[in-house]
Amino acid sequence: MNKATRAMSFLLAAILIAVTVPPSSSAPAQEILFTSNQLAPVEEQEWTRNTLLARFTQETGIRVRFVTDNEGPYVDRLIAESRANRGNIDVTGTLHSIFPVLHAERVTTDMAPVLRQLVERRDRNFIPDLVEAGKIDGTQVFVPWMQATYLMVASRAALRYFPSGRDPMRMTYEDLLQWGENIRQATGQRRVGFGAGPRGLFGRFLHGYIYPSFTGSQVKRFKSPEAVEMWRFMRRLGGIIHPSTFTYEFMHEPLLLGEVWVAWDHVARITPALRQRPNDFVVLPSPAGPRGRSFLSVIAGLAIPRTAPNPELGARLIEYLTRPATQVMTLEGVTFFPVAREASRAVPSSGLMVIANGVAAQANAADAKTALLPVGLGARTGELVPIYVDTFRLIAIEGRDIEQTLGQQARRLEDLYRAMNAPCPPPDPGVRPCRPD
Amino acid sequence: MRPPVAERETVAPEALRLPPRRDLAPYWLLLPTALYLGVFFVYPMSQAVWLAVSDPRSGQLTLEHFQRMSDDVHFRDAIRNTLLITAIAVPVQIALGLAIALMVNTCFRGHTMFLYLCAIPIGISDLAAGLIWLSIFIERGYLNAALGALGAIQQPVTWLSFERRDWLVSAIVVTEIWRATAIVMIILVAGMQLIARDYVETAQVFGASRWRTLLEVFLPLLRPSLQTALIIRTILAFQCFATVIIMSGRLVPVMAGESYFWYSLYRNANVASAYAVLILLFSGSITYFYLRALRQRELDVPR
Repeated sequence: MNKATRAMSFLLAAILIAVTVPPSSSAPAQEILFTSNQLAPVEEQEWTRNTLLARFTQETGIRVRFVTDNEGPYVDRLIAESRANRGNIDVTGTLHSIFPVLHAERVTTDMAPVLRQLVERRDRNFIPDLVEAGKIDGTQVFVPWMQATYLMVASRAALRYFPSGRDPMRMTYEDLLQWGENIRQATGQRRVGFGAGPRGLFGRFLHGYIYPSFTGSQVKRFKSPEAVEMWRFMRRLGGIIHPSTFTYEFMHEPLLLGEVWVAWDHVARITPALRQRPNDFVVLPSPAGPRGRSFLSVIAGLAIPRTAPNPELGARLIEYLTRPATQVMTLEGVTFFPVAREASRAVPSSGLMVIANGVAAQANAADAKTALLPVGLGARTGELVPIYVDTFRLIAIEGRDIEQTLGQQARRLEDLYRAMNAPCPPPDPGVRPCRPD
Repeated sequence: MRPPVAERETVAPEALRLPPRRDLAPYWLLLPTALYLGVFFVYPMSQAVWLAVSDPRSGQLTLEHFQRMSDDVHFRDAIRNTLLITAIAVPVQIALGLAIALMVNTCFRGHTMFLYLCAIPIGISDLAAGLIWLSIFIERGYLNAALGALGAIQQPVTWLSFERRDWLVSAIVVTEIWRATAIVMIILVAGMQLIARDYVETAQVFGASRWRTLLEVFLPLLRPSLQTALIIRTILAFQCFATVIIMSGRLVPVMAGESYFWYSLYRNANVASAYAVLILLFSGSITYFYLRALRQRELDVPR
């Protein structure tokens, strides 16, 4: 061996040692890892770290590392830790529609003992529907954390184009169309917008709002005559929607720019507009159709993974996050609504009043119908919503034949539900597998 | 055994080569690169190919994922748009890059400054480039503001509209050209530095016009650089993604975008890998085509 060879072998050996020897110790016991795909926008992350979790650390001395990611990598990490039977994540918080995936991959544990301890403290009464939503096959997979919904927001200036003699707080889909049409005639511009971009939530509008409002169903009556009627309406609505709507993801942006005057989105995605210019916008309930005013209730839950290294510390974090005072703080910080009755009664500060009123008007309307995010599609959950968005694109943008397109897309829905043997989402009875008729 | 010195003059040139050395040093030196490529390229690539052709449950070979990919409503559009964007953007990038490189090569006053200015987009990620151009094209964007200030338009124009798919594609192409012409230019400027002035001067002595010098001196000698630029740009154009998503959402589906959506939105790594394999096939074939079509003539001479 000459010098060069010897040097190289030495280097190689060094690399091999560096690669194979694991990093010495894991995090100190008083630090826990909290992951989520919620609170992902930068401002929300900052608030979560510097305000929400900082107070927990102040109180308990437990440091919390908060990691947020997009849904894909977020779920992948949890699944990878579960499959490896070894993990670093102590607490995780996500939407109730993702928990079936985590449950199927044995990520979660039974949260009933944690929930029981919280209830025994008698300082918080979880809303029973939300606790119920956290059960899969009889197992309590999460503790309710926060809730949200989607609604309409409009600039005050746009209200004068609202169809005369009609009440915006009791808006129907026909009113919305007429409103957009009036704006269009008066200004020559289309000012109604949806977040139809890749990370936008327009798909939720289709399956959770307009579909049940017209057909009384999210999946089962996908290609029914009422659905055909609904898509004829969507085509007309397409004529008043801002043509750039497919680039929108967070509706507060076009609202603040003035590109859009009337928008529909998740509360968290319209709040920045209301925080910046609270006097310029109004929040309205989502419209009603022939079969009522359907709206989605979004529930986020907290869970301790099966492989969590510090489950007791994790339980303390969950106690803190679900405490009524923390819940009010969360509402004011990131506009997620409380899951405990005690916190719901607290009056939000003025900036949030507009939103809280809109949420209440939507939930308490005489014709209100709550829909929940579809569950039970397991690993293929992500395929559901794009079917609706694709249908919109095919019918309303490309002008394809409605019946034919619905037939073709219904087959996709049917294949998906059959493959996963999943039940119909409410309001339909939970028949397995759900089949569009 | 080495031939005696006296015989050396007469032997064929091949025999003059040194006998093969037994030294392993070159292989040791190559090893880190090989390890790196193996761990970060070959392994993930073979894993992607395996994901694309295997059933996740049974582990058996299947074409199911390719079937699902080709049945998808976006599949044909994705291939068509990718090819369309590539076919328009790459030739324009090459032509523009060549024009800028030729200008720089004339060494006019301030040509280095000009070179640096033209190279700025290299330092900008495709995502940022997309955002820059989005802020130009949106309704309340810079383009409408400029046109409005000039009095050219009364009402803002919606450049990015779901009713004008052709405008959307044009906006994407413009962004791609702005973003990636610089890399072509850099490759060609470097290539031109290698061309000896003698050739150009000789052409001038024989009275060749500038145009003829370009066609018969520069272009043939630039062929290796052009080949590199074409291969790099075409392969990267097949992967274009962030700019497209930002400007058009999913209204102009492209192959790399679909791969992303299948992975992150549908959570299906198998179909996402099928798209990745498809992109690999496209890139492989086009590279093979370029290598053959732009082969140096000297190598074509039959032996």
